[in-house]
Amino acid sequence: MKDSRLETFLARIYVDQTARERFLADPRGEATKAGLTAQQVEDVVKIDRDGLELLAASLERKKHNRR
Amino acid sequence: MAVRDRFGLGWRAKLALGILSNLDRIDIVEVIADDYFRASHRERRALRTLAAQTPVTLHGVSLGMASSVPVDTKRLDQIARLCDEVEPVSWSEHLAFVRGGGIEIGHLAAPPRSAATVSGAIANLRRAREIVGVSPQMENVATLIDPPGSDRDEATWVSQIIRDSESDLLLDLHNLHANSVNFNFDPIDYISHIPPEQISAIHLAGGKWIGRPNARRLLDDHLHDVPGPVYQLLEDVGARATPPLTVILERDGNFPPVEWLLEQLDLARRAVARGRARRSAAAA
Repeated sequence: MKDSRLETFLARIYVDQTARERFLADPRGEATKAGLTAQQVEDVVKIDRDGLELLAASLERKKHNRR
Repeated sequence: MAVRDRFGLGWRAKLALGILSNLDRIDIVEVIADDYFRASHRERRALRTLAAQTPVTLHGVSLGMASSVPVDTKRLDQIARLCDEVEPVSWSEHLAFVRGGGIEIGHLAAPPRSAATVSGAIANLRRAREIVGVSPQMENVATLIDPPGSDRDEATWVSQIIRDSESDLLLDLHNLHANSVNFNFDPIDYISHIPPEQISAIHLAGGKWIGRPNARRLLDDHLHDVPGPVYQLLEDVGARATPPLTVILERDGNFPPVEWLLEQLDLARRAVARGRARRSAAAA
């Protein structure tokens, strides 16, 4: 359950711009609110922000191209 | 009897005519399985006709096998039915998660590299083998982000899943190349983690650089030619992997004339031949 919660959290911040902006503004608060374990909170607080932005943009382009 | 390495292209509608006109230069065709789950009778008949003409391998993109969440049985049933109908020489999927909590990512995402996703992937592979009857070859994926929640490197994570599930690796060399330059690791060391007899298939593709100058990443977009370092890696795999290998060139858009792709396939043949020669020399 705790591991699937992390996957769900990542899926959300990868594809949902609003959730991503909320997370980037308050990583610890949003991760805690999502029910992640203390270790998972520490892991996502240290997220690679450049990678996150590039991944999100790439996913958005793919979505756009499929339309 | 000697077993022969095979070289082929990914089937795409815009390449269909070029592929069908050049089957004498193509040993195998890779078809995206998901494109046929809701296909008409006519489309599925066309796929069976293709499979009767040339060896076909089916490639799944939506199972989400590398996840702590069990794979959806209905999706496995779809693959099983298609395999029964088409009788491919093999089928494959990805070491990726594609959804979480009902949210579809729309892409193959690298999961946290942890004990949970190792055991989840192994359980999912066992389930896939039970339902489809044959284990899929599992492909390493490219990622633009180092997955949060990871407690081991990619080579360790992939090799644990491949060894413990007794599944073969579909080694995507452009994904490996991209991850190695984006996250600064040695791709040869990565390859050395995988048992040579469990590398059975290869993907080749190209990509482009994206991002700000001081935070650039190589994107695996399948829209560009195969770069030189990937052919070098292919030679190195040819020197190490137990024959036979199935090598597929993937191109998803920005299509050049098919002759250009066939020339890249010839470059791949030559790279593997160089590797095989090194392998023979080392064994002598």
